[in-house]
Amino acid sequence: MKYNLELIKNKRKIISFSTLLILLSLLGILYSTFNTSYKKPINLGMDFVGGNELRIERVCEEECSNLSPDSVLENLREISINKNFINNIKLQFQNNNKLISIRTPYLSIEESNNLITNLENIIGPLNYESKDSRLIGPKLGKRLLTNCVTSLLVSLFAISLYITIRFDKKYALFALIALFHDLLIVFGIFSWLGIILSVEVNSLFAVSLLTIAGYSVNDTVVIFDRIRENLKSKEEGYNETIQLSVNESFRRTTFTSITTLIPLLSIILFGSYSLFWFSLALSVGIIVGSYSSILLAPSLLLKD
Amino acid sequence: MKRRQGWLFFIIFLLTLSVYLLINYPLQLGLDLQGGSQLTLQIIKEEGKVTRDELEAVNSVIDKRVNNLGVSESNLQTLGGDQLILELPGEQNPLVASRVLGKTALLEFRTQKEGTSTDLKTLQLQRLSIKELIEQYSFEEKNQNNVNFLKVIQDDLKDIEQELNYSSTSNDLYGKLIEIKKYIDKEITNLFIKTDLSGKDLINAGRRQEQTNSNWEVLLTFSNSGGEKFAEITKSIAGTNQLLAIILDGESISEASVGNQFSSTGITGGSATISGNFSAENAKELEVQLKGGSLPLPIEIVETNTIGALLGSKNILKSLYAAISGLIFVGIFMILNYRILGFVSVLSLVLYGFFNLALYSLIPVTLTLPGISGLILSIGMAVDANILIFERIREELYEGNTLTRSIDSGFQRANSSIVDGHITTLLSCFVLFLLGTNFVKGFAATLGIGVLISLFTSLNCSKTILRFFTTYQSLREKNLYLPKNNFSN
Repeated sequence: MKYNLELIKNKRKIISFSTLLILLSLLGILYSTFNTSYKKPINLGMDFVGGNELRIERVCEEECSNLSPDSVLENLREISINKNFINNIKLQFQNNNKLISIRTPYLSIEESNNLITNLENIIGPLNYESKDSRLIGPKLGKRLLTNCVTSLLVSLFAISLYITIRFDKKYALFALIALFHDLLIVFGIFSWLGIILSVEVNSLFAVSLLTIAGYSVNDTVVIFDRIRENLKSKEEGYNETIQLSVNESFRRTTFTSITTLIPLLSIILFGSYSLFWFSLALSVGIIVGSYSSILLAPSLLLKD
Repeated sequence: MKRRQGWLFFIIFLLTLSVYLLINYPLQLGLDLQGGSQLTLQIIKEEGKVTRDELEAVNSVIDKRVNNLGVSESNLQTLGGDQLILELPGEQNPLVASRVLGKTALLEFRTQKEGTSTDLKTLQLQRLSIKELIEQYSFEEKNQNNVNFLKVIQDDLKDIEQELNYSSTSNDLYGKLIEIKKYIDKEITNLFIKTDLSGKDLINAGRRQEQTNSNWEVLLTFSNSGGEKFAEITKSIAGTNQLLAIILDGESISEASVGNQFSSTGITGGSATISGNFSAENAKELEVQLKGGSLPLPIEIVETNTIGALLGSKNILKSLYAAISGLIFVGIFMILNYRILGFVSVLSLVLYGFFNLALYSLIPVTLTLPGISGLILSIGMAVDANILIFERIREELYEGNTLTRSIDSGFQRANSSIVDGHITTLLSCFVLFLLGTNFVKGFAATLGIGVLISLFTSLNCSKTILRFFTTYQSLREKNLYLPKNNFSN
């Protein structure tokens, strides 16, 4: 089976399409920075801003009675002095009213335990065996954020250094452009998800960006490797050789993406809830990464 | 040929070793998979960096305290130079640990400043009423919350705040009560002057129930020099109006008068008791703090993570489903596309899985949820190397080369791309491992180990298995290595 992607003919279309995606991402980032309540390029979760997140199941005889979050909050308000604190609590019932999930600003362990006891008084018995609670101090959150940003920058630097050594500067530059393109689009998509569905990003999101960076460069490097090899041995013209190399690597790149996407899809379908957005970010990154490795990066190498 | 057979035996040996390791050294599960609490403790230092010695000193004090608490299988690690991670497996309430750990346990003995009697009396009264409020609150909390009663507590609290000219900043009523109590304790402390006797002069601590009532008291045993200092101090204030305060972390826990009968020698014998209306639990906590010694620097609990046992086992099941179904689907995909070659890659994937897990139990790597996702993701990446090689082999076959030659040069020519690709991923893992938090480290570790092992399994194991297959004449049919309908191509 031979593939015949018309890279030379479609160079302009590919570059415009990527530019459009980048602009849409930037738009999301700008909108998020100026028009949302959190005023950040992306909706930072409690890993980065600190807070308290609690998920716990109720103990019910058969079906859990229907409770409205508002009435529960109203009851809590009567106990608490600090009205402002209650206003910052987000409370949800999920899974047929069985699962309660609560988000609050940062609390001490005592205060958090106290809140659970108060809730138990209002809602009825809770099952501590199925409790999942996370408390993160605001200082630690900030530290985590700087930590994530530094590790991203350091590893981007290391990767670009490596490809500059292994290839020449031009290849390195284009591989880097493809890489930034991928990261920016994933970031942009999560900006939009934050605006529309209030999806928050946590430290696992930073991990997914780094993994995408490694993966995307890997993909691009394999194709560049092939181009370099063919440029040495083949008789055809420069542009034609590039197009040929991409077509020769096409099966490999799509197959690799598919075999990486399959396990990710199983995490999305069967895995724990806490890994859902992480796997989704990785999946999006791998799809965008394959696109940029097959179409964008080689198109940039083409001569006019 | 002989060399290849050697490799085959080596791989079989490795597989047996892995199975042996996995049976005898079970994998360590992180708290998110077995349930329990994890606390991250931050050492607080106003100026400069926390030194190694200080970190170790804090570490050993915390370690002693946790052991004295009687928590089994706890695990304490240092992180990033100024943080500690404490893991309490099983269904442990982090509350008790937090009360004991957060305290510096800096014990001081102070004597009262002159002319402060009236101030002290007012403060002591206020402390008494706030203690009552806290008791009332806990009582109400255990029973049904009576809203009216809570209002009364709130109003009383406001009165005390007005008298003190201080308002609390905490988020809820209980937090406010505790905060005000601390404030009063500090104010009381300010009415006393430091002496040279401190927690350093302590050699042991214990507790016992008071005979007159059901309250507990904490017993202190001083060293020789400490006992002398204590006698000296008690002698100096015996029979005066001045009180002796026992202060922990800047908060007075009790103030006692020294009777006139001690004015000649002071209290000798090298021991003292603190009776501050302790409950059994509080007395134990204080004992644990004093026994463990005082922390050289204060710490703050910056993160807690509690996962119920039931949820933990649910997480394991889910990850198991995800991992196994991922492997099966990838296997099906590979066999459909690459036929014999696909089957070879499935075998080397299985080897890959065993080697990975065996290495986890050997190093040992604690498996957490992000760790498992690193493992699952690395399955996909491990297949990548195989695909690169197989595509090359096919190209060689299309060009009309013999099977053996195609296999050889397929592996050879794919080599450089595979190494390049793996190195970029390893770079990211390395950076993540160096700079990441412990949560992220698990992911980086499993992904990194996976990438390294996949270099071995895809380059070496696949080749050995493939060579082994091709020794059988029936498996040397070229079209078994090419896509079904494309042979004519």
